[in-house]
Amino acid sequence: MRDSMVFDRMTLAVAVILAALPVLLPSASLAGEILIFAMAALACNLLLGYGGLLSFGQGLFFGVGSYLSALAMIHGGAGLLSALLIAMAAGAAVATLVGAMSIRRTGIYFVMLTLAFSQMGYFLAYTLSDWTGGDNGLLDVPRPDLTLFGVTLVPLGNPYAFYTFIAVLFFIVFVGAKRLIGSPFGSTLVAIRENENRALAVGYDTRHFKLLAFTLSGMVTALAGALYGMLINFVPLSNIELSMSDNIVIMTIIGGTGSLLGPLLGAGAMVILGEVLSDIWPRWMLLLGVGLILIVMFLRGGLWGGVEALAARFGLQRAAKEERP
Amino acid sequence: MSGDMLLETSDLMLAYGGFHAVDGVDLCVRAGTIHSVIGPNGAGKTSLFHCLTGGRKPTSGRILFDGRDITAEPPQGRVGLGMARSFQVTSLFQNLSVFENLRLAAQGRDGDRSLVFWRSVTSGKAHREQAEQVMERLGLAARARHAAGDLSHGQQRVLEVGMALCAKPKLLLLDEPTSGMGIDDIPVMTGLIAELGRDHTIMLIEHNMGIVMSISDRVTVMSRGRILVEGTPEMVRADERVRSAYLGEAA
Amino acid sequence: MLNLYLFQILNGLGLGMIYFLIAVGLTIIFGLLNFVNFAHGAFFMLGAYLCYTLLQLTGAYWVALIAGPLIVAGFAWMVEKVLIRHCYHLPHTFHILITVGIALILQEGSILVWGPIGKSVPIPDMLQGVITFGKFAYPKYRLFLIMFSAVVGFVLWVLLERTRFGALVRAGSENPEMVSLLGADIYRLFSLTFALGVGLAGLAGVLSAPLRGAHPFMGPEVLGLAFVVVVIGGMGSFTGALVGGLIIGLVQSLMSTIWPQGASLMIYAAMAAVIFLRPYGLFGRA
Repeated sequence: MRDSMVFDRMTLAVAVILAALPVLLPSASLAGEILIFAMAALACNLLLGYGGLLSFGQGLFFGVGSYLSALAMIHGGAGLLSALLIAMAAGAAVATLVGAMSIRRTGIYFVMLTLAFSQMGYFLAYTLSDWTGGDNGLLDVPRPDLTLFGVTLVPLGNPYAFYTFIAVLFFIVFVGAKRLIGSPFGSTLVAIRENENRALAVGYDTRHFKLLAFTLSGMVTALAGALYGMLINFVPLSNIELSMSDNIVIMTIIGGTGSLLGPLLGAGAMVILGEVLSDIWPRWMLLLGVGLILIVMFLRGGLWGGVEALAARFGLQRAAKEERP
Repeated sequence: MSGDMLLETSDLMLAYGGFHAVDGVDLCVRAGTIHSVIGPNGAGKTSLFHCLTGGRKPTSGRILFDGRDITAEPPQGRVGLGMARSFQVTSLFQNLSVFENLRLAAQGRDGDRSLVFWRSVTSGKAHREQAEQVMERLGLAARARHAAGDLSHGQQRVLEVGMALCAKPKLLLLDEPTSGMGIDDIPVMTGLIAELGRDHTIMLIEHNMGIVMSISDRVTVMSRGRILVEGTPEMVRADERVRSAYLGEAA
Repeated sequence: MLNLYLFQILNGLGLGMIYFLIAVGLTIIFGLLNFVNFAHGAFFMLGAYLCYTLLQLTGAYWVALIAGPLIVAGFAWMVEKVLIRHCYHLPHTFHILITVGIALILQEGSILVWGPIGKSVPIPDMLQGVITFGKFAYPKYRLFLIMFSAVVGFVLWVLLERTRFGALVRAGSENPEMVSLLGADIYRLFSLTFALGVGLAGLAGVLSAPLRGAHPFMGPEVLGLAFVVVVIGGMGSFTGALVGGLIIGLVQSLMSTIWPQGASLMIYAAMAAVIFLRPYGLFGRA
């Protein structure tokens, strides 16, 4: 595998995009929403693109992160960082549990297991309406200022300030993901995806690797969920609904599962198109449906695959090769 | 290095319901030797192999490797103990490069220590060097960056053996390494295995009698789940029972 | 008190038969084509809407009952030829993605055609009212639903077990290449099978419309349950779809007055349990 240098041109491209987003888009909130879902899609891609594991449980982790961070702030008076850490810990824990049970099966059964756990989480959240607000969701979710040892470092009430906070977190996650892909763990995950029997024969306990992938994925997805709650000051029940899992998976695949930039493209496309089109035509999702069909028929590498193909066409071979393992 | 028993099975049995695929096998593989297991189809060679590699749990009996009872050890654990295997039906990481295939195999010896996700793979110099050395030894250095799936069948079979080699094992278990190889490639494999035999213990399942007779130190003949005859290639070749087992038995 | 239980049980049977029809279609498609159809629920919804429209146009329920599923099946046939056929060789992920796309188009399309609120469908005149057995009264339509579904189930069973077509479907699910070597036009078989499977979902939609109406978001809800039935019953198993469907229907019905979400929790927990303990479901095989 080529050494994928962490701070390479792709990382630079991401930094540029992060800086440009709030300027190009009509609102910082929209930009923040893109990054939040890009984070969730990135976590999904760790499992799907790199691990070969299609998980419909991502909505569960997203919802858990949203609810627990919000509850920690509302009932426990937790500050910003504590709430986020609680979300991440909860996400990691739930994902480990779900993962441990789901990886006992492979193929379509694995997918169905993640779906089953996701649905159970949804119905549980619906039932525990005293805590979650049930159908109405959790209202008035605070967005605390960034403080350290009681000293307010940055007030995050301003949308641009909060965007910057989200962007910094996204960048850290992105760089971390790059590092992870280039690590022994990352290379083994790819090997397991390619040929699990071979990986076992060569000495890897594949369950451990799949499980760690779940844990990390759940942790990051929960972080995204927590940030989303703070962004819109509200935790709707739909955060934990199956449709959230669907959307995250769709974004991941549309963006392209072959790289770490794909999730950002996919999230960007879905969120922007949703915003722009839903005002023009309430039935815009019909076009999304058409788009999905086109991707499966003609562009399986997703948007990133399209970008790579264009780059190759115009002789920018190195840009394309950089992402090959 | 020779003299001690590296691998021993003790009354090993693998039964599928009433059918005994492996029916009380006491096998001994001496360290430093090339030991071949042959026999007609259905003799139980593959089932024995499954038990030795951890693919199937034996119904009864024991397997001792380097003095240690590994009967219940799962396949991924055996590599760490010094056993590595190749597959009869080529099973490589087809889309990854030859180099990466070997590097992963070398890294595999670390087992769970590979769960490290914060350090770059480049820091694992030992694995990369091991992969490079093995590539040289296999004569595949020129194809280092090619996808494993792009190699010719013969080269893929050689890479199969290379994957096992990267684990720096004490014992190499090779399952029909020349399977499907063309007449020109077989001598390459034969030479490779003979050369490897100088510093590894090798257990070989083979159908190709030419290889078996030319490079083995010891040959075990199986028939109907049991050991029929065991001895030097010459002894086995001359034995009447072996001849009738191959000719007389329904495949 | 007994009457109340009997009422719930019969409702459960009815619901179960609806689930059976949906699930058996899904399981046939997965069994033969190894294709995961995430649009199955959307076709159910289409059936319900077609029932509404056909009833509006002709006033005759039996027209809706026959034409509705046929229209859905015909539409599915076209979708298979144009889209689905090209995806069999792709990993399941892409099956899911393309059928989600189709489902979205159907869902949004139905809002365009019929509006966002949904429609209620009247119970056909002939089947209105109740039928009494001594002190027990049960709606005629619901009874009709149970009996009609049972007949359809029986016909389907005969089709699968006793006809050449059925034999090809069953053989093909074991070994598609062999079947094409036997001279059957395998692609025709795939199209027919897909159309049949989806048509059954459409039929379920038509049957359930007078009870539940038609609304655009029926699809996802029903899809989840269909998969639960198929997993619990066993992928590719007719008996599994029947038994699984009935169990789910009964559980939902019996718990609907006590704790409806609990029913769903139990159902999904049961699915997970089955995948652990008997991954091939109650009646499936490898």
